Amino acid sequence: MLIQELNSYQSRSSYKDTRNLWTRATLSQPKLNVPRSKICDDSDAEGSSLGSKTRRGYSRKAGREPGDLHGHLSLEMELRRGSILGSHLEEDVDSKTETEVSSSESWLSMSRHTPHGAYWIEQQNRLPLPLMEVVENEALEILTKALWSEDGPDHFLTKHLQRYIEGLKRRRSKRLHLVMY
Amino acid sequence: MKLKQGSFLWYLYLDKLYCLLSVRNVKALLEYFHLLDVHHNNTLNDVLFYHFLRHVTSWKRTQIMIVFNMLDWNAMGEIGFDQFYMLVCILLAQQNHLEEQFIFRHSRPVFELLDLDGELRIGADHFHMYNFLFNIKKQELRELYHDFDITGDRTFLTDPEAQTLTFSINVTFYGKGKPKHIIELYKSTDTTKRL
Repeated sequence: MLIQELNSYQSRSSYKDTRNLWTRATLSQPKLNVPRSKICDDSDAEGSSLGSKTRRGYSRKAGREPGDLHGHLSLEMELRRGSILGSHLEEDVDSKTETEVSSSESWLSMSRHTPHGAYWIEQQNRLPLPLMEVVENEALEILTKALWSEDGPDHFLTKHLQRYIEGLKRRRSKRLHLVMY
Repeated sequence: MKLKQGSFLWYLYLDKLYCLLSVRNVKALLEYFHLLDVHHNNTLNDVLFYHFLRHVTSWKRTQIMIVFNMLDWNAMGEIGFDQFYMLVCILLAQQNHLEEQFIFRHSRPVFELLDLDGELRIGADHFHMYNFLFNIKKQELRELYHDFDITGDRTFLTDPEAQTLTFSINVTFYGKGKPKHIIELYKSTDTTKRL
């Protein structure tokens, strides 16, 4: 069911970002009485990626807005939820262990056979892109301030810093360009 | 001290039991460190270190340089990732009001950090200098010395007694025990038999 939904979404030209496939695919699932907090706890207990853990850290802070970071970091959560919901549809689950094992097995089989499977596997081992964006932007700000404070413009370390900052900016604009198109 | 809202460190958090980062958070922190490591030495020099702390904390220049000198164990003018990680844990402990737990869990490294000259002794000046790191207030420090400065030379706390002190810090500083009981405990755990 989930695979058919993915295929139908893939054929539509409006979904150019593959990450949206997963996010929207799970919306088509019938509603089940599985609270989101339980799913979040289950995935955290399974040692989920930094994305979900970081999001739990986000939720501890007061006054934090679920902006772009929150939306993108929910990718990992949606993947897990999709697999858990899928396993619930198949059979009655008596024990939590059986659910976790079947969900992980169905996740592995799905990741092998679904489109862009290798991409998703790789994403599991990498930091979420929005987090890298935060890290790079902040590093750029700090290094730019450091450059302005340097007294010797001709010193080789200052020049090295300048070149490094330019390289970071180029990389960032390239990544932004890719995300937009 | 408050971490700048929306900064990368602001999104991190410590495990409340062990006061350490998770492996994945360390991985993210390592990426961040490598981005700041402009010269590819696996270190941050004093300029980069200063601007990093200036950006993410509300500390002044003097405080930042005190921290740098504390972490620059080899006096190389650079900070490696080990020291950077330690600093981030201290910052997060302060941000989340876990100073007590942090000192309890990591008493030995904290002792070594405070023991700048390596004499295995910490004086009142050490605590005064670093009270902005662990939020140790002057009155609490005065009470501690009143209770534990047996020799009267305003220094104490050799390395083997660090764990006893940690307990006493937790009890005394945070108002959970009475001095008399602490002294009794100290006597019972004094392995050097100097009392």
